[in-house]
Amino acid sequence: MKKLLSVLLALSMLAALPLLSSAEEEKVLNIFSWDGYVDYASVIQPFEEQTGIKVNYAPFSTNDEMLKKLQENGASEYDLVIASDYILNTARLEGLMLPLDKEKLPNFANLDERFISQYFDPDNEYVVPYMSGIPLIVYNPDMVQIEIDGFEDLWDPSLVDSIGLIDDARVSIGMVLLSMGQSMNTTDDAVLAQAKEKLFALRENIHVLEYENLHNSLISGDISVAYTFTPYVALALDANPNLKVVWPKEGLGFGIDGAFIPANAPHPDNAHTFLNYLLDGQVAAVTAEWQLYCTPNAAAQEFLSDAYKNNPVFNGIYDRFGDAEYVMNLGADESKFQDIWTEFKLLF
Amino acid sequence: MSGGKGAKMAGGRGTRLFIVPMAMVAVLFVAIPLCYVLVISFMTRGDNSTVQAIFTAENYRRLLDPNYARVFLNSMLLALWTTLLALLLGYPFGYCMARANRRWRALLMLLVIVPFWTNALVRLYGWKILLQANGPVNTVLRALGLIDQPLRMLGSYGSVLLAMVYCLIPFMILPCHSAVDKMDWSCVEAARDLGAKPWYAFLTVTLPLTLPGISAGCVLVFVPSLGLFFVSDLMGGSLMLVGNLIRDQLLKSRDWPFGAALSMLLMAVTVLIFGLYRRSGGKDLGVF
Amino acid sequence: MKKRRKIFSPVYMTLLLIAMYLPIVMVVIYSFNAGRTIGAWQGFTTMWYDRLLQNALMGDALKNSLVLAAWSVALAGVIGTLGAIGMAKSHFRGKGALETLSTLPMMIPEIILGMAYLVIFSAVGIPLGMPTLVVTHMTFCVPYVYINVSSRLVGMDPSVEEAARDLGAGPWRVLLDITLPLVAPAVASGMLLALAMSLDDVIISFFVTGATTTTLPLKVYTGLRNGGTPEINALCTLLLGAVFVLVSLAQLWQARQRRRQARDREQANRNQPDRA
Repeated sequence: MKKLLSVLLALSMLAALPLLSSAEEEKVLNIFSWDGYVDYASVIQPFEEQTGIKVNYAPFSTNDEMLKKLQENGASEYDLVIASDYILNTARLEGLMLPLDKEKLPNFANLDERFISQYFDPDNEYVVPYMSGIPLIVYNPDMVQIEIDGFEDLWDPSLVDSIGLIDDARVSIGMVLLSMGQSMNTTDDAVLAQAKEKLFALRENIHVLEYENLHNSLISGDISVAYTFTPYVALALDANPNLKVVWPKEGLGFGIDGAFIPANAPHPDNAHTFLNYLLDGQVAAVTAEWQLYCTPNAAAQEFLSDAYKNNPVFNGIYDRFGDAEYVMNLGADESKFQDIWTEFKLLF
Repeated sequence: MSGGKGAKMAGGRGTRLFIVPMAMVAVLFVAIPLCYVLVISFMTRGDNSTVQAIFTAENYRRLLDPNYARVFLNSMLLALWTTLLALLLGYPFGYCMARANRRWRALLMLLVIVPFWTNALVRLYGWKILLQANGPVNTVLRALGLIDQPLRMLGSYGSVLLAMVYCLIPFMILPCHSAVDKMDWSCVEAARDLGAKPWYAFLTVTLPLTLPGISAGCVLVFVPSLGLFFVSDLMGGSLMLVGNLIRDQLLKSRDWPFGAALSMLLMAVTVLIFGLYRRSGGKDLGVF
Repeated sequence: MKKRRKIFSPVYMTLLLIAMYLPIVMVVIYSFNAGRTIGAWQGFTTMWYDRLLQNALMGDALKNSLVLAAWSVALAGVIGTLGAIGMAKSHFRGKGALETLSTLPMMIPEIILGMAYLVIFSAVGIPLGMPTLVVTHMTFCVPYVYINVSSRLVGMDPSVEEAARDLGAGPWRVLLDITLPLVAPAVASGMLLALAMSLDDVIISFFVTGATTTTLPLKVYTGLRNGGTPEINALCTLLLGAVFVLVSLAQLWQARQRRRQARDREQANRNQPDRA
């Protein structure tokens, strides 16, 4: 049956035969990440010129789509994947990663110690940390009467219909859990029931749930408070320097995006060359300034601009490492969060 | 089609071969994937987006949760409103286009479709710019003295509807245009000659004659609108639609079997709607 | 009465077209925005055009998108049109089922369909790339052509075709000389819609694309993570500009053809009396 199927499928594709790409050259590198997460003009193009390696860039929009593709095609198509911490852990446990050859990565030593040996790669065998971020509260003091210094203030009645929250169950319910002094990764039903009640009480204050656009709404004046990711906070500040950034006192959600080489990557040598290039202090600095994240690269510090170094969005983390908590993969218990979120969104 | 049985037989065999490529596509690229989805909808979730080959009907039992019914209702209502508005706006356009000078017609068709060759996301960002609190619409309204405070249109149900209609209106305009274009105008003229008022002639002659185009347009708008959940997300609608639910189950809960069951339900509901429509005479309209 | 329609029609069409193009005007304006957001105007720049023009990845994606759209829409046009004509003229057991099955891709949530394609292609060992993109796009494009052509065929006078058949024309002959010209406008509009669908698809494309066949919509959709890319606005501006130049050239050419035809006809009319 399978054979017949494959013959039929192959036949039906005959028409498209001339489109089949020509045999792969030696000097090729296939990157798999969010589009633009490695900038072409400032990072990829210089690399191509230096090494003669042609870079292909295949994008994904969510970590889990990426994982599904690696699982199905045996991690054999891409040479380098950049994705988020929890999915790195999952991919490592599923054996989808190729161990790094540290001899080919002399620049690995450039990494800040506080960003390595994380739970997703305790022995630094597979992952090169790339960028790091923390969702923060950012608000427009012209439109907000109160002083916000933590999550608890979001429930203030004066903020009715003015908050933009991240449209993600784990991040936003996690925020409620942090405000209750609980872990973002709790699976305790009683605690989650409490969190649900508290989340529902926030409904009146929320104007919009969005994932990628809260900074636009904040700048345009559609909302006056946003809880959103690092680069969006930075973009909002860039457009309106009067905005105030809050490092919530109750705790922080923390994340690291890292790069790894899939288990059956076709060009692992090129991938090592590229990783070592990314770890160069100067390249890391350029990357951090363009991507608007915190860099885990200690050698980048001397190349960073003053504007970047003085921006609290990027350097606040160094005082708060102790309060930062990862959002982890909870397996089947993820459904508990999703069910709460579904019910919550039905209120809109 | 009418015509004697003999005629049908004569042209039948050759013409029937025309169906073969479509049938092959339907079997290879629709039926087979569908069977796969059906099978995993009866299996048990494994860790991390995997599926365990253990039979269960639990995924379908979970669908009984009233919250999911409300999500489906949300989606159906949005699709219904979208279709209605698209029809009200698109039919007159298709009609005028078909009545326009032949020289203009091709240009008009191009003008309608060209915006849709650019990315939908980018075009929706255009609407966001227009509608945001400091955007041009608010600026104009303020300059005219119609409002003091900027209207917060983004995120409202109306803004979601507007964007939905905008994304799908050519799917209404083109079939309506095609129907008006092929209509036999002598019927309308006959009605007018017999003293029918223009509106009466339109309702009793033009409308019934163009019904196939209208129903094709409605199908082409209604069905895709059930899947365009990202429009609501982008416009800040914060709505929970079936598309969001399925995506969240697949990519966030990582529960592929349940996501498959939800997909089967959505498909069943859509097919059922068209089954009813077919029963009620839609079959004669040529679509389904 | 007639006058009123004459006024209503162009006014209505103009208003709706303005509404369709206003957001695009905004995209064009904001492609010159110095900031990376759309929330506020942060000054004028042509930086995004510079970045765009030197970005080889953008060129690759544009090329992939165009190749993909051309193949899938052409195939869907042929398959959908033949299918609609064949279905309208034959009756057999399971016709309804085949019709539903063929139009089902519109009703299956894209994400689950894309995932099913990924699993099946991987299981059978077909490498992901342009061929897998083309067949899947073709599959979801067929219904748009099929529905448009089907609705055009309803109520079409069958006597012409029957006459041709009685005169001994085979089915292909009838198709090419009689049926196709009659349904051509519906084929065209179906293919235009299919083109729009193919040029916009993200979700199915993601699951069936290979490492080197990234399409433009994939880039746009997945680029939102770092605040969206004004480069895409710049690209849309350039593409639309190109389309409009082509359309205007075609219009000018047509107008010239028409004038020439008119002149020829006039000349022929003038010559006729002489010959007689």
